Amino acid sequence: MSNNYFNTLPLREQLEQLAKCRFMSMDEFSEGVEALKGKKMVVIGCGAQGLNQGLNLRDSGLDVSYALREAAIAEKRQSWKNATENGFVVGTYEELIPTADVVLNLTPDKQHTSVVNAVMPLMKEGSCLSYSHGFNIVEEGMQIRDDITVIMVAPKCPGSEVRAEYVRGFGVPTLIAVHEDNDPKGEGLALAKAYAVGTGGHKAGVLMSSFIAEVKSDLMGEQTILCGMLQTGSILCFDKMVEKGIDAGYASKLIQYGWETITEALKYGGVTNMLDRLSNPAKIKAFDLSEELKVIMRPLYNKHQDDIINGTFSRVMMEDWANDDKNLLGWRAETAETNFEKTPAGDVEISEQEFFDNGILMVAMVKAGVELAFETMTAAGIIAESAYYESLHETPLIANTIARKKLYEMNATISDTAEYGCYLYNHACLPLLGDFMKNIDTDVIGKGLDLADNGVDNARLIEVNAALRAHPVEAVGAELRAHMADMKKIV
Amino acid sequence: MNNIVIENYTAEFGESFTLRDINWIIEPNQHWVITGTNGSGKSALSAILAGAGEKLSGSISGLPERVELVSFEAQAELIDRELKKDDTDIMDVISEGTPVREILEEGKADNPDFDADLLEELIKKFKLESMLERSFRKLSTGETRKIMLIRALVNKPGLVILDEPFDGLDVDSMTMLNELLQSQIDTVPMVLVLNRFDEMPDFITHVAYTDKGQLHHTVDIKDEQAYNDLYQLLHLKTTNLEVPETDDSDRPPALNPEDPLVKLTDIKVAYGDSKVLDGESWVIEPRQHWQLSGPNGSGKTCLLNLITGDHPQCYTNDIFVFGMQRGNGETIWQIKQYIGYVSTALQWEYRVSISVRNVIISGFHDSIGMYTKSSDRQKKVADQWLKLLGMEDRADQPYNQLSFGDQRLLLIARAMVKHPTLLILDEPCLGLDDINRQLVLALIEKICNSSDTTVIYVNHHAEDQISGIKQFKQLEKLA
Repeated sequence: MSNNYFNTLPLREQLEQLAKCRFMSMDEFSEGVEALKGKKMVVIGCGAQGLNQGLNLRDSGLDVSYALREAAIAEKRQSWKNATENGFVVGTYEELIPTADVVLNLTPDKQHTSVVNAVMPLMKEGSCLSYSHGFNIVEEGMQIRDDITVIMVAPKCPGSEVRAEYVRGFGVPTLIAVHEDNDPKGEGLALAKAYAVGTGGHKAGVLMSSFIAEVKSDLMGEQTILCGMLQTGSILCFDKMVEKGIDAGYASKLIQYGWETITEALKYGGVTNMLDRLSNPAKIKAFDLSEELKVIMRPLYNKHQDDIINGTFSRVMMEDWANDDKNLLGWRAETAETNFEKTPAGDVEISEQEFFDNGILMVAMVKAGVELAFETMTAAGIIAESAYYESLHETPLIANTIARKKLYEMNATISDTAEYGCYLYNHACLPLLGDFMKNIDTDVIGKGLDLADNGVDNARLIEVNAALRAHPVEAVGAELRAHMADMKKIV
Repeated sequence: MNNIVIENYTAEFGESFTLRDINWIIEPNQHWVITGTNGSGKSALSAILAGAGEKLSGSISGLPERVELVSFEAQAELIDRELKKDDTDIMDVISEGTPVREILEEGKADNPDFDADLLEELIKKFKLESMLERSFRKLSTGETRKIMLIRALVNKPGLVILDEPFDGLDVDSMTMLNELLQSQIDTVPMVLVLNRFDEMPDFITHVAYTDKGQLHHTVDIKDEQAYNDLYQLLHLKTTNLEVPETDDSDRPPALNPEDPLVKLTDIKVAYGDSKVLDGESWVIEPRQHWQLSGPNGSGKTCLLNLITGDHPQCYTNDIFVFGMQRGNGETIWQIKQYIGYVSTALQWEYRVSISVRNVIISGFHDSIGMYTKSSDRQKKVADQWLKLLGMEDRADQPYNQLSFGDQRLLLIARAMVKHPTLLILDEPCLGLDDINRQLVLALIEKICNSSDTTVIYVNHHAEDQISGIKQFKQLEKLA
């Protein structure tokens, strides 16, 4: 069984690693892709991340090829098709890994141990091994040969977005890290920066972090607010609307596209702006609901964070890996059977504003989830910038995936690790919100407030506005969004 | 009153002009403007209502018995007649010519419907009393026009046609004439021929647009979208189009003028077992405009994407673009800096929250959306483009709230804004209505003729030919 690397460190070191996170300035990337120019980059794994990162790197002038298992090549599996139809050189591990200056491990988390064990003996002396997620190093305690440089370049988006944003001329926010135990030549940072430029990430902002901070915050964000809260919220809101007689097609559409629309406001102006899109009475209502939700859900967020920090989560999940993903696959099948999933979006027009007006509860859920995830992460020693990216920042990306693919496909798109955590959250959160949902009616989900006028009490409104703006996620968010050039220009 | 119904009407006007296949219905209580470019047939169209032109085929029914046509030509004729009456030189007495009142009452003798009361009313209303005894031919252009119009109205016609009634009038005269027309809108349907759209009186209910001797569109003013499109089209057609200057501060490296822009050799593209392109070659020299055609699935877009670097198999083919042999460490941005590109796919992909102005500026950066700061110069150039498109008042509006056609126009401007070395227009008119199609073609034609850009134009439709294109490439669908 694996040895949790984080748990082997002294507390002082744990805290120091968790708190590593620095927003890098654009001029730190003035060297462009130079550090990788002419080097041979070999990608392992040709799924969404592997293929799309490879496409970006090649379009940035870098030499990219794909190493696949012999069987994948012989049987012309999907990964082989992906790579060859896109005009890449494809070879076996034995053919390509010994020639590689940089090996990009872009396989799913659960394959890391076997993949790394297979490629490490083949790797050139003094070459570099790159990860997109630190799970294998941090949670499984994988030991890498001393002469090999180990870095992480983690685009904070699904692979398809990584490509789409690059093609638009932009990129996705990216986290980079160097595994300090494996930086023999001191070139880890230069390689990671060049890699981030090659995928376009530098244009959208790069965070210099640590393997540990990345893993512990990423796991927390993805299983709570990002995937878990939206999954639970979708199921509860849909069932409530149908129960109250709202047309199922309308309800399905309001949810499928509603998350995307309301979190678009979140992306531009944080929680404050998302609630500012509501009328004053609706804003106060959403605020009150979210306060109530935060009290109910806080123990759940704490539990998720605790299980992640002390390694319980990864241990339990790896047991399921060892058990042929019995739980994961079962839960995935259940998602396909939810009423929301089975009801196609109706052919009705819903205006942008209507998603807010008729989705007050959804707004409240997003606010509660973002703030709770942020508060829980920072309380665990993860610094605000990391916590912001892993909570508020990524929520619109998952919402966007739900808009395109609903829940089942959203879960299939995200990593198995995120998916596993999402189901854990969902199973705990559904019953937790049972009593809360009993008091919910169509005024906050489905129809909007039915008021004669929009009058509110001045003092109450001032109080709510002040509370929204004073939350720490808003301060760090305003600063980080200002760094993202696109936000500045297009708003 | 009946509808005036014109069906499949074709008529000749002398040897030089034919009005073709006119289908048009004018209902009572409608007031029309006919517009179009010079020589497009607007006057001819109005004149067939007054019986002009030699009918070749078709029919007109429901025409009222009396149709009054007030035109520049009619006015000239009347003045000419007056001048001929002036026999001053022969008689050696000063002739004053026909007084205004006489001109106004000319219809009285043989028109039983002549409305003397209306005449007095209009004289009073427009304060013509002092003018009545003066010589008609000594009146100013504006006054003459007004008299002509009153003269037409008091004859109680079932239809009044006014060909360029505002031409040559100062602002005051225009206002006065407008009031006169306005006062009669409930009594008679009017058809105005106008060159300039901004002269259109408020009471107009419908617009007819003529082009090349055909009635191209009829637009109900209440249909705001169609009306705006027509407005823009006319703006583009009647303005002397000048492609705006570009921002020279960030030009890509100059190319060797001896090299072709693009050289594709023995191109092979396949997905699994299905071949899309098999052995295709293509050399594009600078300033050689091309039209690329072929049925759906013949690989047109694929071929273009190999040039732009958007097709991943560009790395496995022999492709030379803008001085670079593909697959030697160049980036796609080095290639895209030479290219402007428009396609329906681009429009689908252009789904970002962005202002109208910034869509155009994004062309400087080859980006979908704006991710870097724009310079003042770039903003200025973008504003010139917006003016050209007649969209300057919408610069700060969200792009995604525009109509499909307006979005397409903006994307064409975006593609042109940096004066790209190569402009690729992949079915630019696809999905556009007729008006917008005309607009886009006008713009492309201008671009082909007036800049250093080489154009590749892809289309299906024979009628959407661009006059500056002399090279044709045809792709066939592979079996």
